Formats: sequence, C-alpha cells, structure tokens
Amino acid sequence: MTDLRYAEHDDEPLPAAGYRTYEVYQRERVAESSNLLAPRELIGDEMLTAPYRLLTILREHHPCYRDWVGNRFWITRYDDVTSILTDDANYESRSKRWFAGRPDLGRDLGAELPVLWAQANRIDAHVVPIVERMIDDLDDESGGKPDLASAFAARLPLELWGAVLDLPGADLPGFAARYWRMQRGCGWDPRAQRDGWAAAEELARYLEPLVDRRRVEPGDDLISAAVRVELDDGPVAAADIVATIWEADHETLHGGLANMWFQLLTNPEQLEGVRHDRRLVKFAWLETMRHSPPVHNAARFARHEVERFGRLLPAGALLQCSAAAANRDPRVFADPDAFLVERDDLCQREPRGQYRADGLPSGIALGLGRPSVHPAVPKDRPRSTYALVRDVAVQASRMLLDAHPGIRVAERSEPVLRSLRLGEMFACWRLPVEW
Amino acid sequence: MTNPFDAVRAATIDPDETGGARTTFAHMPIGEAVDMGHADDGTPLIDPRIFDSSEFRRNPYPYYRILREHYPVFHDRLHNCYYVTRYRDIAAGYFDEVGFNTIPKGSSSGVLGNTQLELSGIEHRRRRNIYGRHLVGAALTKRLPALRQLARDLIEQWWEPDNPKGVEFDGNTVVIELGRCFANEFPISVVAQVLGIPQDAREQFTWWYDAMMSGLGGSDTHHDGLVARADLEHYVASLVGQRRTEPTYLYDDAGEQICMDIISELCHAEIDGDVMSTEEITSFVALVVGGGGETTRGAIMNLWYLLLQHPEQYAVVIEDPDLWRPAFHEMLRHSTSIGGQPRHNTFDVEMHGIVIPAGSLMHMVDVSANHDDSVFAEPERFDIFRSDLYSDKILRSGHDKDGRSSHMAFGVGPHLCPGAWISEQESVIGSQVLSEVFRNVRIEVERMPKDLDGAALAPIGLGSIRELWLRFDVAER
Repeated sequence: MTDLRYAEHDDEPLPAAGYRTYEVYQRERVAESSNLLAPRELIGDEMLTAPYRLLTILREHHPCYRDWVGNRFWITRYDDVTSILTDDANYESRSKRWFAGRPDLGRDLGAELPVLWAQANRIDAHVVPIVERMIDDLDDESGGKPDLASAFAARLPLELWGAVLDLPGADLPGFAARYWRMQRGCGWDPRAQRDGWAAAEELARYLEPLVDRRRVEPGDDLISAAVRVELDDGPVAAADIVATIWEADHETLHGGLANMWFQLLTNPEQLEGVRHDRRLVKFAWLETMRHSPPVHNAARFARHEVERFGRLLPAGALLQCSAAAANRDPRVFADPDAFLVERDDLCQREPRGQYRADGLPSGIALGLGRPSVHPAVPKDRPRSTYALVRDVAVQASRMLLDAHPGIRVAERSEPVLRSLRLGEMFACWRLPVEW
Repeated sequence: MTNPFDAVRAATIDPDETGGARTTFAHMPIGEAVDMGHADDGTPLIDPRIFDSSEFRRNPYPYYRILREHYPVFHDRLHNCYYVTRYRDIAAGYFDEVGFNTIPKGSSSGVLGNTQLELSGIEHRRRRNIYGRHLVGAALTKRLPALRQLARDLIEQWWEPDNPKGVEFDGNTVVIELGRCFANEFPISVVAQVLGIPQDAREQFTWWYDAMMSGLGGSDTHHDGLVARADLEHYVASLVGQRRTEPTYLYDDAGEQICMDIISELCHAEIDGDVMSTEEITSFVALVVGGGGETTRGAIMNLWYLLLQHPEQYAVVIEDPDLWRPAFHEMLRHSTSIGGQPRHNTFDVEMHGIVIPAGSLMHMVDVSANHDDSVFAEPERFDIFRSDLYSDKILRSGHDKDGRSSHMAFGVGPHLCPGAWISEQESVIGSQVLSEVFRNVRIEVERMPKDLDGAALAPIGLGSIRELWLRFDVAER
C-alpha cells in the first residue's frame, strides 16, 4: 500500500550546469501584480486598435512587467528599451525566419557589402521614376478617391524590391503578393505561417531562373551581387535571396509612409507647415518614427541570466521591447502624445552608436535596425538602412506634395491606425484622399 | 490603368480577415476538434488562441490528439512556450532533472511563494524530506483510522437538526450536493490535521486557498491571490511563533504520539545548519494546502461523477471495496484536475525535429500523456478494469512496462507528487465511507450543469466539476 522507501532519497544528482537557486529569482518577497490591467488584455483586441492606454499603464507603473499569459517581460521606458537594443552581449534577437518556424531556410546575405551596395544603388537610381509612375497612377484611380495607404505607401517598397532585384515589370504583382504572404507568416497565426512557407517556396522557384541567368549575365542588381558572394557552405542559391529579402522586409517604409501621411492629413496645421517648408518633410518623417512607429515591438532574448530592472532575468527570457511605449515616454519627450513636426526635443539627424545625437533622443524605429556603429559612413559602405529608408520616404513625399499641394483626406472617410493581426505592424491601411 | 498590386491591396484592406488575438471558437461535439484549417498536405493546424478558449477547457482531448499526432512538440508563438504532449517524452523530461529544470521563473507567480516546485537537486530533496514522511509510510498508516473517523464525522453532520450541510429530504430519498456535504471539507480537514492547523481555521484556509489558486499569474485575480497570500502569511507567522516553543503532535487512535505535525516539524527542522524562515514555512503551508486540498476535492468529485455515469462499474466497486483504488487511478488517468507541469530546458535541445533554445518554457501536458493511445487503448473510455493501467503501489520511478503504465497525474521522478499516497487514501477511504451511506445512489440530473445541448451532463473537461448533486434512498440508521 505505502512504502517508506519512496520517502527517502538515496541519490542526489548534481544540479544542472549553471544551476542557480530559485531564491535568487525572488527579488520581491511577494510578486508584482497589478489591478490596473489583466495580462490577457495584452493579447486582447484593444491592443490591435488602441494599445496606448495599456502601454501607458505598463510604462508608468510596471516598467518591467512580467506577463504570465504571454510568458514575457514588457520593457516600456525609453532608456530601458534602448539599453536592451544596443546590448548584444546580454540579449540576442532571432531572425524573422525563426519566428516563422523556418530558421534553416536560406542564408541571410543582408550583411554582405556588395549586396548592400546593389540595394542602395538600385534604389537611388529608380526611386524617382517609380514615384512618378505611382503619382500618375493615383490620378487614374477609380472614382477619383485614390487610397494613399495601398496605392502609395504599400506599393512603394514593393516597387523598390522589383527595382533592386531587377524583376520584369509584368512579374511584379505576382512577386508582391508572395512577398507579402511571406512577411505575414512570421507571427503566431498558423494559417498565415503555412501560407508564408508556401509563398517563400514559390518565390524561391520563381527566382531560380533569374539567379541562374545572373550568374552568366551579371547586372548591377542585388541578385547579381549576391551570386558573386562567396560563402563557405556552397554557392548562393535562390533560397538565399528569399532569406535576404525576408529579413530585410518592407515594414518601416510601408507603415512609416502610411502613418506619416495619416498624421499630416489628420493634423492639417502640421501639414500646412510642411507645405510651406519642404525641409520639414524630413522632420515629419522623424516625428512619425517617434509618434507612430509601424513596428511596435521587438523581441530580445536574454543570452544568460541578467540582473536588470531590479530583477534577475533568467536565461532565455523574452523581453518585449515596446517602441510604441518608449517613444511616448514623458521622461524623454514633452507632450509625447502630440504629433509635432517641429518638435525641439527630438534628434534631427541619424544617431550613431546609440539612440541619441546632439544630446537629443531619436524615435525608436525597430524596423531599421539599431543605430549604425560607424561614427561616420565608411568609404566602402553605403549609407545605413536608416538613412536609405528616410531618404526614400522624404523624396517620395516631397514629390507627392509637389504634384498635389492641395491634398486632403477624402470627405466622409475616417482613417484610423491599427494592426491587422496582433503583433503585426500598426499602420494606416486605408487613407482615401482628394485634391 | 489600375494599381498592379491588387493582391496586396486585398490583403491590406481587409482588417477582419482574422480578427484579433482573442476569438471565439465554436463549441464542438465532445471528442471532435473545431476546424482551424489545414496545411496543403492535410495536416490539421492548431490556432494557439484555442488554448484560451472555453471550447478547449470543455473539450480538450481532440486537440491534444492532434498535437500528439502531428506536433509532439508544438511551438505556441502567441504564448511563447512549447507543449510536449506524448507520454514517453513527458516521462523522460520528468526524469531528466538536469536537462529540464524546474526553475520555471516562478510557476506559482509569487502567489504560493518560494515552493519546492521550483527547486531542483539537493535544495529540493532536503526540503521535501522534512515533511514528505508525514504523507507516506508508517506515519500515514497509523493515521488511517483517524482519517476514516473524520469522514464519518462529516457525514454525521448531514443528520444534525440545524441541517448545516443543506441536505434535502424528499420522501424516502435524500438529495445532497457532494461538494458542500463532503468533498470540499474532507481533504482540507485532513490537510489541516497533518499540518497542525487548528480545525476552527479550516474555513478561512479554504477561502485563502481558493483565492490563491484562482489568482495565479495570468489570471484576472492575480492581485487577489497575492493579497490572500499576504493574509495567510500573517496567520502562519502567529502559528509559527507558538510552535517554535510549543510543538504540537499527531496522535494515532490509541492516543499515542506519531510525530510532530508538519508546521511544528518545519519550525524545528534545520536545513544547511539554519532553521527555516517564516517565509519559507508559509510557502510550504501554501503548497501543501494547495496540493492537498483542491486536488483531492476534485478527485473525489470526478471519481463519483464518472463512476455513477458507469453504473455497471459502480455496481462492481460496491461489491468489492478493494476496487476503489483502481477506480481512483483510472479516474486520475481519465480526468485529472492538474493539467501538467512547466519545465525549462537547460540547454538547446532538439525534439522531433524542433530545435528549442535553452531557457524556453515547456509545458509537460500530463492530461495529454494520460490520453496517449500508444500507452492507453481507447483513452477516452473510462474503464476501471482496463489492463494497460498500472494501479498498484505508487512508485517514484513510475511504471511503464509489461503492457501496464502508471498514469501521469502525479508525475514521475524526483518531483512525483508527495501527496500521492495520502490523496489515494483519502479518496478511497472517503468513498468507501460514503458508499456505506448511499443506497441506490444516482446523479440528480435535473440539478446538474448540462452540456451545450441542454440535455447531456456537462463533460469534466480540464479541471474538476464544481458541484455534484446526488439522490439516494434513506438507509436505516
């Protein structure tokens, strides 16, 4: 029936390598909790449409909130978020393909200099004609109410990928649809994930003949540059191109453009200033990156046990770094919820090495990577992604403003910002305009 | 000319395509999974939002079947965790204390406190040994008569003139709610005795316990859980003050001292050359109250619910009271109230082709292991005579050979539930005592919660039933 033997423990196995007593995790005698929000709200619908109420609670009351539902720590203050994003020694990021469940699909060539040069050069050479064409097409939109969100903001980064890869124009819609499906496969939704896998495979099949052709007929495009890169583990294949464009993504240019125009059009006094002084377009972009960044969160994982924020963060812990919350941290920005193009407490140039320059903080724009570690652009490198995307967005927006100085939100339309699915970018998806 | 990106536009301007992160899943017939889509090769997909749904709590097994068959390690990217669902993977994980550590970054989320659930190796063993022996072996055997008496005393209250248990008399029959009349109180009384908590504090304990268990991290009432914990600590501190100087003892039915009660024992035990802090003792008490109260309550309730729905099996059990034990274990296999245990992998591991980075949260789903049909045939069938379930002496090493396997409700390995033996005794003895009173007992179907069709009895699903209305004939007294 019962047996004393089982109450006695003869063997005492050695603790695991690096084992720490649990007590060290108990910095607070009784754990933190809040009556201000329930953790399930953090995966609720409010986070899709109006996340700032909850993010403000976290930032002001629980700057390192342990979310038991999502099994993560929410980091929401500006200085905390930037300190994590710039700390490679203690935190690691994981690739988009890891989140998509396809970590072994291809090799990311995004750090190879020839690839970066090809990307920058092709973008610089093609951005003007592409934007001219898009503006022409806007005029032809059916019903005379062109939608800036889909016909301008969403389209530009995909057109640029077409230029960077030198794709035949007729292939572009097919490429764009697959590229988009692939990018949406990085979240938690299993249907989207499978769809993303299928799209990635279709893209690889589609790119295969292009890759083969560029081996013998090199051009100045990204594929040609990529096939010349020598890797230790075999020649560059179509899957590597897919991995590279998957990791590079489109979100900040797409969402940033949509959100900037949303903010300008719904804050006419700010638009008025930009209209009178085109120099301000750049500042509108920077303020958008701060006020309405399209990519709200970045995940970092503790490489090992880290003592921070009054806590001991265990190895492997997921830190949800919220740019949305941090960029509206009142400790850093005055009147943080206001969209002010000529804000004087926002850094007006590309920060280097850290998130501040001239002693001023910049908006955290997660999609653009962290600030370049180079104190100045080295001779052998193109300018950073941060600068490249900013220049494209500013150029395109100036051209649009030149073509249609009287641009305004279409009557009876009420554009909003939202995420389509939890964890996806927070952007304006419909922005009908008239002039 | 039209925009050449119609496909993209379609995708970007349909915000209702998938809705939010929370969604409502259709309720399905028991045993059938809601269609969450399929991969091209026909593999059913699992939408991680299902784990938060009422459909899943009511009807979990078809989903676990999909996981076992298609995703033995399932990466839930919404909740940032992995589910391990096959019997043998879970058992292997439980035995590998080094590779799958129990530092769950606070599974009890500060509500229970620093409990041994979250300790490993020597730290775990030294603490567990202090009180483990109260719940097993001679210390338990000597107390069985007292346990039986406690059950009889509770039943005596049914007939008291002021009717404290709300017993209803209807002609020659009696209607009771088993929880209120017996199951809610019996385990907590046993636990209170073993711990050395005054009996008059039992109700307060029940309340603290409920608040703490429903207030674990992730719940809406986490804050209330922590408040209850603080209250409990205040109370335990006063007990500890007394017991440090005046220990109290457990006695057998002859009035002989068996040993100190657990709280007194903890007050005098030394670990690593130091007595235990009040904080540590409180956490012990919280864990034992939690582990010993609600789980056994659920066991008694589920056991009677299942048996009475299988009257042919019940008929055999009342003829042969030795069968209460296999019935108890089959109930735990079929419908245990604790879903599983968290672990964290110490190193990067690859399981079934999935690479899991070190430090990931891995849910070992005991409920799924118990329904693994590579171990238990027709796992959804409740059958106390099944030949593939091991229901002899509970073993720390578990049992998985010769075609018989132990269920995973108590786990296996170093963290095997220390209350397994006493809980088995409580359920078996309690049920034996009840069956002596019950004549022609049947479920009072009209009073019971129904499934969605409004006719069938509600399934147990995950957890345990909250109320069980019974009608039986008055016995001659």
